[in-house]
Amino acid sequence: MSKILLSQVTLDFPIYGANTRSLKKSLVSLVTGGTIAQENHITFVRALENICLELSSGDTVGLIGHNGAGKSTLLRVLSKIYTPSIGKVKIKGRISSLLDLNLGIDLESTGYENIVLSGLLRGLSRKDIEVRKKTIAEFSELGDYLAMPIRTYSQGMQLRLAFSIATSFSPEILLLDEVMGVGDAPFMEKSKQRMSELVAESDIVVFSSHSNDLIRKFCKKALWLEKGHVKAFGLVDEVLAAYDTLKNHG
Amino acid sequence: MSTTTPIPRSFQLNAALSDLQQGLTSQRIWWSLGWQDIRLRYRRSQLGPFWITLSTAIMIYSMGILYSKLFKIDLATYYPYLATGIITWTFISSIIIEANDAFVENAAFIRQTCLPFSIYILRLLTRNFIILLHNFLPVLPILIYFKVAPSAVGILYFIFGLGLFLSIGYSFGLLLAMLGSRFRDMKPIVASLVQVCFLITPILWQHSMLSPRLQAWTNWNPFYQLIQLLRAPLLGQIPSTLTLSYCLGLAAIGFALMIVLLARCRHRIAFWV
Repeated sequence: MSKILLSQVTLDFPIYGANTRSLKKSLVSLVTGGTIAQENHITFVRALENICLELSSGDTVGLIGHNGAGKSTLLRVLSKIYTPSIGKVKIKGRISSLLDLNLGIDLESTGYENIVLSGLLRGLSRKDIEVRKKTIAEFSELGDYLAMPIRTYSQGMQLRLAFSIATSFSPEILLLDEVMGVGDAPFMEKSKQRMSELVAESDIVVFSSHSNDLIRKFCKKALWLEKGHVKAFGLVDEVLAAYDTLKNHG
Repeated sequence: MSTTTPIPRSFQLNAALSDLQQGLTSQRIWWSLGWQDIRLRYRRSQLGPFWITLSTAIMIYSMGILYSKLFKIDLATYYPYLATGIITWTFISSIIIEANDAFVENAAFIRQTCLPFSIYILRLLTRNFIILLHNFLPVLPILIYFKVAPSAVGILYFIFGLGLFLSIGYSFGLLLAMLGSRFRDMKPIVASLVQVCFLITPILWQHSMLSPRLQAWTNWNPFYQLIQLLRAPLLGQIPSTLTLSYCLGLAAIGFALMIVLLARCRHRIAFWV
């Protein structure tokens, strides 16, 4: 049984290197006679605020919201990459996050070498990887190119391989960030098919996308984020309807 | 109706310790990443990693002749001393300099997966250890020609020293990696300090050339003691008690500082890179 439990999660994102701004600020305060450099000059952005969420086996959730609404940040909190500033995160189950297809993809290494490395990064043994190598090779349809360094691949071929590797491991909790639309038309069909299988195999799926069609296709529930808050959470059709109404009005 | 209990994020000892433990047990990951670094650096070159060997060889062989004349030291004494000193120095200094970038370099990994942070230091140590092994090649003929050989006990001391050194590199490496990702000025500062240290540490010259007063001062130089830890057994000597206790102390301090800082900052590293 997999489980995700977020209680009152707030995440403040420190922004470093915004020096021009703090310099200007301290100059201004110098002119106006205020105290200089009283703060540490670190700007914080509140990326998520007071998020409560409970998901259990069988839940498939689509994340919707504008750019910068906190979708990717939420996925990274679920992936245990970001620790919230306030609140609790409890996760049970093996997580696989496809936040970036190109993770661990090294341009100078060959296709085969990349398959091995990606497998290791996902915690597989060399034996497991050998077993999967063939499936990945077949799915990517790259044939002999797999023995060549990836830098010789076209953009589309690179994505094909990355997608084939990333989706060859079935997790309990699947976290996806806009990974559709890979390669040419036939491969796109195939990748959608693979995604459906992967979603079906996983216990919990959280999927962020701007495409309502894909969300409807893969998810039963939807979570609408706005400026780091949960605007709505419920059945996919209801939430999407509300989202669309607001979008059309605004 | 529910009670809010904001978790204090200031000190998470368990998270830090489990990071270290998980890192050590993921040896498959850091070992392959370390090897990959070596393979990639020389992918399209003919000599491959032996470029490392060659450049070390040129440096040692040419400097040896010149400096033994300059310092009027017998070549049989000076050559082995210089050669072993240079390779241990290269090992130490590149770990220190590269450690500042250990997290920044791996930003893509850190932002996309939740691998333990200590993996990136272990990757760096692996890479530099492999380079050290390459660097041994040009030193071997010198040791053989001048009949300098570590005794059986010396070999044990060397293995012990290497283990001790690697744990010092591990603890201080993690420390520097954290500081280096938060404060980007660290790397240039460290790099220039290391350069100065090369000159004030007995590598090209010998400790015994100094006045007793300066010798006592130099004993406090951590680089001197770290080099002695590895160099002495290679030269058929046994590291002094001073060296051993200094290095053990260094390791203890390094681990204490590293664990405290990791417990305090681990959850923020992802924001820093």
